[in-house]
Amino acid sequence: MKLTFSGNRALILGGTCELGVFLAKEMIKAGLFPILTYRNENGCKNILKQLQSVKGKYDTFYLDFTDRLSLKSLFSGIHDDLDFLVDFAQGDFEDLVASANCDAVYRYFEENISFRAEVLKMAARAMLKKKLKKQLKKKYEKKAGESRARLVFISSAAAIRPNPGQGFYAAAKLASEALYKNLGIEMGSRGITTVTLRPGYIDAGRGKKYLQIKKDGALCAVPIKKAVTCKELTETILFFLSDSAKSFNAVEISMDGRLTSGK
Amino acid sequence: MSIFEKIRDIIADLLDIEEDEITLESYLIRDLGAESIDLLELAVALNSTFNIEINDDEIFLKTLRLYLTEAKEKKEDTSSYLAVRFPFLEKKRIEEIMEDLEKGPVIKVKDIVRYVAFR
Repeated sequence: MKLTFSGNRALILGGTCELGVFLAKEMIKAGLFPILTYRNENGCKNILKQLQSVKGKYDTFYLDFTDRLSLKSLFSGIHDDLDFLVDFAQGDFEDLVASANCDAVYRYFEENISFRAEVLKMAARAMLKKKLKKQLKKKYEKKAGESRARLVFISSAAAIRPNPGQGFYAAAKLASEALYKNLGIEMGSRGITTVTLRPGYIDAGRGKKYLQIKKDGALCAVPIKKAVTCKELTETILFFLSDSAKSFNAVEISMDGRLTSGK
Repeated sequence: MSIFEKIRDIIADLLDIEEDEITLESYLIRDLGAESIDLLELAVALNSTFNIEINDDEIFLKTLRLYLTEAKEKKEDTSSYLAVRFPFLEKKRIEEIMEDLEKGPVIKVKDIVRYVAFR
């Protein structure tokens, strides 16, 4: 199946992770223009190294979830020209609810929920601005196709099936899912829609390290006895960005081999 | 084209109504039927057309009732209190708004024009 896309500029939040870079490569192959965000110099170097063979076919921007000015710079830098957004960004924070440092908890939620709400506000307005321009063009030139924009949030099976110590991570993911869902409900009539994916164990990045430590133990609870591969996840994301998936909106989809829906 | 004419064209386009239905005295919500999503689109369109930052709370007087409560609690003169918070509105218009509050959302097209001119 050949996927088609209404638009080509795709912002990847958390673009330095293995999945982010892999997705960028696949996007380029599909004719999209990925814009990857990084939090520090090492992250930027990693992107440049991984994508050196496709120089000029992507862009990078600094974005730190603790720095609101970096968000303004990002949207000013991309001139509000945005069709898609894929959100991998998520801070690490594991502790027991009854023992976590309260200041750290406040900081974590501010960075991973409040900041994300601001990201969504700016992204939705940029997408709306682009859509209105197209609408005006269509009015005067009697052409231009249907205008759509799509945001995909990469949540986690841990959001609904957390292990001890993952309460804050799960809370941040669920709150973010709610923001994405409502954005899709509110903006769907304007062609701006959202989808949340909840992958289970992923054979990439931190997930890969975890699986190596636990070996088959981790996959015992997964009915299909396998982890999600990098390729499967990126292909699924591309599908959800494509015109083929335009009827999905404001929905959470589990991609975990039924890990979270069984006993 | 004047600011009003540009804004009138944007509103007509967004709400899919005829331009001659829109006057400076039209109520955006009460007369023209704008909903919250339309106001969001209007804010984005104004930002794009006039290249100015739009504060949705200010331009659509979203915080009007909050400020009225604050002024009452602080026992301050309501008109002066609102004049500081909505500097684009003339004193006469603020008084008009206060008399009109009971009838529903007070925002008029002329308030949008004033905001853009002020910015």
